[in-house]
Amino acid sequence: MPLVTIDDRQVEVDQGTNLIEAGLKVGVQIPHYCYHPRLSVVGQCRMCLVKVEGMPKLQAGCSTQVMKDGMVVRTDTPDVKEAQRAMMEFLLVNHPLDCPICDQAGECALQDYSFKHGMATSRARFEDKRVYPGRERIPLGPTVVLNMNRCIQCTRCVRFTAEVAKTGELGFLQRGARAEIGTFPGRELDNDLATCVVDICPVGALTSERFRFAERVWYLDKKPSLCTGCDVGCNITLEHRRGQIKRYKPRFNPEVNDYWMCDYGRATFERYGELPRLLAPRQVKEGRATVVSWEEALDTFHHRLRSRVEGAIAFLGSGFLTTEEAYLLARVAEQLGSPHRSVWTAPSRPYHIPNPQGGVTAEDAAPNRRGAELAGLLAGEGALDAVRLLAEGASEAGVLVVADSDFGPAAHDPETVARLRRARTLIVLGWADTPLARAADLALPVATHAEKDGTFVNVQRRVQRFRQAFPPPGEALPAVEVLAALLRRLDPTWTAATASAVFARLAAELPAFAGLTWQGLAATGAPLPEAEAVSA
Amino acid sequence: MPNIGFLGEPVLLKNVGKPAALTVDGYRQGGGYQALAKALAMQPAAVIDMVKASGLRGRGGAGFPTGNKWSFVPKEAKQKYLTVNADESEPGTFKDRVLMEEDPHQLIEGSAICCWAVGATVCYIYIRGEYVEAGDILERAIEEAYAKGILGKDVLGSGFELDMVVHRGAGAYICGEETGLLESLEGKRGQPRVKPPFPAVVGAFGMPTVINNVETLCCVTHILDRGPEWFKAIGTDERNTGPKLYAVSGHVEKPGTYEVPIGITFQELLDLCGGMWRGPSGDGPARQLKAFIPGGASAPVLTAADRHIKLDFDTLAKAGTMLGSAAVMVMDETASMLQVAKRSAKFFNHESCGQCTPCREGTNWLEVLLTHAAHGEATTQEVDLVPQVAKQIGGNSLCALGDAAMMGVGPIVEKFRDEILAEVRAAATHAHGNGNGRRAALPVLQGA
Repeated sequence: MPLVTIDDRQVEVDQGTNLIEAGLKVGVQIPHYCYHPRLSVVGQCRMCLVKVEGMPKLQAGCSTQVMKDGMVVRTDTPDVKEAQRAMMEFLLVNHPLDCPICDQAGECALQDYSFKHGMATSRARFEDKRVYPGRERIPLGPTVVLNMNRCIQCTRCVRFTAEVAKTGELGFLQRGARAEIGTFPGRELDNDLATCVVDICPVGALTSERFRFAERVWYLDKKPSLCTGCDVGCNITLEHRRGQIKRYKPRFNPEVNDYWMCDYGRATFERYGELPRLLAPRQVKEGRATVVSWEEALDTFHHRLRSRVEGAIAFLGSGFLTTEEAYLLARVAEQLGSPHRSVWTAPSRPYHIPNPQGGVTAEDAAPNRRGAELAGLLAGEGALDAVRLLAEGASEAGVLVVADSDFGPAAHDPETVARLRRARTLIVLGWADTPLARAADLALPVATHAEKDGTFVNVQRRVQRFRQAFPPPGEALPAVEVLAALLRRLDPTWTAATASAVFARLAAELPAFAGLTWQGLAATGAPLPEAEAVSA
Repeated sequence: MPNIGFLGEPVLLKNVGKPAALTVDGYRQGGGYQALAKALAMQPAAVIDMVKASGLRGRGGAGFPTGNKWSFVPKEAKQKYLTVNADESEPGTFKDRVLMEEDPHQLIEGSAICCWAVGATVCYIYIRGEYVEAGDILERAIEEAYAKGILGKDVLGSGFELDMVVHRGAGAYICGEETGLLESLEGKRGQPRVKPPFPAVVGAFGMPTVINNVETLCCVTHILDRGPEWFKAIGTDERNTGPKLYAVSGHVEKPGTYEVPIGITFQELLDLCGGMWRGPSGDGPARQLKAFIPGGASAPVLTAADRHIKLDFDTLAKAGTMLGSAAVMVMDETASMLQVAKRSAKFFNHESCGQCTPCREGTNWLEVLLTHAAHGEATTQEVDLVPQVAKQIGGNSLCALGDAAMMGVGPIVEKFRDEILAEVRAAATHAHGNGNGRRAALPVLQGA
């Protein structure tokens, strides 16, 4: 591998690596706008100009590749600094500088590089700024809004639609200082990945219809999480303010979603605000729904499981359960000797997220059917499984435990709810107060995925971990805590009561998860051991 | 017939004004297509060596040695192309038009020789859309050349197969930049590519491509015909050889296309053009030379003090300017250098493709600054900002258009600063005196 020296730091890189990437390996950040690792290199913004020894002119870091040993690069010479200052000046000559009302403020590459490489004053007259009249708030499609005045013509968005989404809705129109971004007349920017152009837009030209004016970004708290829209399991950064989720943004994972995620997934958190929330344990007493304490609720739960008169004890899980929750539910079923455990998920539209290996395509409309099944929620022959419960009703069940209350569209369908209600006792866990929860004898409030820790197993059979972003509201608890408390009532020797402890147990016990550790999943997850693959 | 002139024997322009030369037979009567026949009897490498030996440098603007360019083409490639750059759009340049309209077979012959030398089997002549007549003439000539066995499956009975196509551009300066031309030729937005890779390796449709100017290829015809020694004997030295066309415009008595040995001094060229302009009646006193641009709008301006400079690649480069496309624009004492600078800036701003930051934003800023100045609204600091902005475009842009804007605009303001400041002040006073009260007069006076 050729050796390159950047600002006196030496590094070996693959032949053909460009200087921006080589710099990152030794901690040298070369500023850039138009370069993106997944888009073609166009060398347009000229922000990444660096000094390459032996070359008379400054070279663009994005388009200069390390081809052989001995290349010497400097990013801190006076002429490089001057070029960076000049590019910043040029980019701001026509920029509206409307940061106070711009959604990008706080996460804007123009602001960042102005601070680092720019000048404090302007030599151009403010009134001379070029404007695109009538192009300040153009909806390019249902999810993306364009303000042409802020655009720096880096064409990342154009290249994204052409090269990644492969839909090609956007084009570079006009030329020179009048050049602009736009769609073909009568066409919209409307594809599953459309909002990714907002993520890669380095400035405030493209903003998200959903997030626009929702929050100043510096008020947002950010946690690594996972999208629950389907079983692709896009890695995301969950951004919230005091427990109000404002935005999902893709988090880089080259094995799964790369830099991208779909527009459907970005909107899934809205469901947490749309459905009424179950905030305290609720038990039907003498025909009336009554709020009870957790102690009482768990005692009731325990009692109903132990003292049934006749009929099966059935467990209907969903693809929204974490692997740990599913495992605990399966342990409960085992304690009671019940084979009636299954998972129900709706099929998903085949959302396709590209990545360097080709991409990942959705199958289920929930993130963790595979994990839940591998953790033990898999019905044996002749068991009272999800298909039978939903189609025929639960009249054979003495007790039916459903987790969770929003397991799919069926949880809102009065006929399905009535069929499940045929169980003598109906116990429902969930974060949402759905028609199903309202029909239950006992409804237990649990955390949303934003409010707990856990793992999901995606369509690639990759285990991925997400973190609690904020605590659950009201009396709601992470379902792991609820199920662990119940399990302790059934089995006094049981100790594991956190997601990490439960994961350690299941990894030790289940061959499908052998060798995996909670810490090992921290960054980008890990594939399930191949040898133990069980067809899910 | 266009206005032409010679110093010595006309070679490139010998068929101008002879309509017979538009036909294959007429062209052959003047010795045409013998050079091609000679080339086809040689090994391609020998043809390249001959062109190398002649010292021919590209006539489009950059002056790159033609033989070297040809030798960069990888021999093993399955498909290679020649693209003739006939997008003559450097302001002040009209020499290639004369060649194409008056002597199309000279270009066809030179192009065919090049194709044989580099192994190209398809030749595109990329001609600017405004050259409607030149395009028509070329198409007719190519059609006849096919019919007479000069192009097609069996060039002059040699077994060499060559297709030639006229491709008309839509009129953009940037499509004269070689990679912008290739993008346009491929049907894409005409904007330059990142180099490397250079077109000789990855060119049109991803294949190795030679791109040569019209005049360059016409020279090749005569190098094959008369030998490299003949070519080399003409000119200043061995790096500046051959006959050269100069397109002279502006305040001279006889503007037109002149064929002279490369390296003639400006004064000699001016004399050939009948000297400085004598006014519309033609009998007034000759105007005084103030400034001249030696190589099209991209070349830094020279002043009357430079009148004895040799107009060749290296002498002009040493003087901080360039031969460029050899479009010589002459300005007398009545020319407003402020208007010249403004018009030049307007041109580059209009023609910038918009993809790279310095050129897109910088050329626009130059025009804005100079427009203020022309209205008498600029401060001295703003006038002085022009060369500074120009310098931070140049060297930083993706293609040479940014450099062209730097060289074409900055030096005018630098070399004629006092005159331009006086013009700004006069415009300010005028605006003020007329009572139309643009906001401006005072800052200029204060700044000065």
